[in-house]
Amino acid sequence: MSADVHSLIGAYALDAIDDLERAAVDRHLRDCHDCRAEIAELREVAARLADGAWSVPPPQLRETVMAGIANTRQLPPEPAARPSATGPSRRMRLIAAAAALVAAAGTGSVVYAVQDHRVDQQRQLTEAAQASEARTRAVLAAPDLVVREQPLTSGGRVTVASSRLRDAGVIMLAASDAPADGRVYQLWTIRGGTPSSAGALHEGQSVIVQIVDGLPSSSEVGVTLEPAPGSATPTAPLEALVKLI
Amino acid sequence: MGERDISRRAEHLTSVPGPDPAPDAAALLLDVSRGDEKAFGKLYDLVAPRVYGLIRRVLRDPAQSEEVAQEVLLEVWRSATRFDPGKGSATAWIFTIAHRRAVDRVRAEQSAADRTARVGAATIDMPFDSVTDEVAARLERQQVRHCLDELTELQRQAVILAYYQGNTYPQVADLLRTPLPTIKSRMRDGLARLRDCLAVGAAA
Repeated sequence: MSADVHSLIGAYALDAIDDLERAAVDRHLRDCHDCRAEIAELREVAARLADGAWSVPPPQLRETVMAGIANTRQLPPEPAARPSATGPSRRMRLIAAAAALVAAAGTGSVVYAVQDHRVDQQRQLTEAAQASEARTRAVLAAPDLVVREQPLTSGGRVTVASSRLRDAGVIMLAASDAPADGRVYQLWTIRGGTPSSAGALHEGQSVIVQIVDGLPSSSEVGVTLEPAPGSATPTAPLEALVKLI
Repeated sequence: MGERDISRRAEHLTSVPGPDPAPDAAALLLDVSRGDEKAFGKLYDLVAPRVYGLIRRVLRDPAQSEEVAQEVLLEVWRSATRFDPGKGSATAWIFTIAHRRAVDRVRAEQSAADRTARVGAATIDMPFDSVTDEVAARLERQQVRHCLDELTELQRQAVILAYYQGNTYPQVADLLRTPLPTIKSRMRDGLARLRDCLAVGAAA
């Protein structure tokens, strides 16, 4: 397997691999000093390709970003210690739960993934979970985090963690089963009585960790079962409604 | 224009895999990590065209690109404290974040519902033609373009389809009708060749 992982180094530097493979390479890198050096080098080269993509940003972007940083707290200098699964506080348990969702998505599939087999459902699950993992951790670490939980009518539960300081929140859906009949779970944020989609799961997917910017300004988070691949507005009764105020 | 001077200067100073391609970026990032908003403004001017350009190249849709660029730049502010100069250059750190975010968005989109949004995006794309022309002209002058041309056809296409278009290597293999192991190898040796070419260019 090591040889397989090693052959992925170029694709890794180009972000041309899926999350399962990335996890496999990351694991390999921990034990392989030479590989780390090679990756670092190839990453530098890949980043140089950005020089070839120079493009004038829209003028308002600068203003938006500068305004954004004024409202954004910087991370503390040292990486926070990895939360242990036995953490005493609710937040620790929550972070552990989010991490577990991410980990569960990856477990046992890596070997197949690096052998070029596509385990579609698991891959999609991992993508959804891992793409937002870093940001999820950051939101979950917010000092003013408020956590709310509701059971799903169809079994399972939805957890909403939101932080005004971060002006963001995390919705964690863990349904007991993936819906059948071509339906998918869809998340909604409700603001001023109007629902807008916060993302739909894939067919066959029952777990997601979704980060939502601006979540604290919503009054509720809803979950419905919609016909795949999701709807523009909710068409089905609520599976769960989490009140945020 | 100040930005242009800075980016061109950075180009000539660049050595890969040598010291930071843009010493300014590393120094600025250090100031930024101490909460210096002014330094962040300068860093913005230095890297935003490449951050936005890279994301736009991958995502195409200008509105989406702007949104992702905003996320990335805020992330740079937020996690500047985590940048470790011992592990690579400041620009590589920033563009790696940008590229990863853009690619994550592509992957999410590929598996997601909204095909219609992408059709719409192609229409919105048009007014940016003038920008595209400018970028193309700029590209001509750039070393990275020259070095891409030094690659074999398969290396070049593999690198471009992956990096600029956000494809996974199996997708690249499909597009180029080439076996997976070959594509993986071409990505790796293509990047290595690019590295050698860029290093030579910087020394010159």
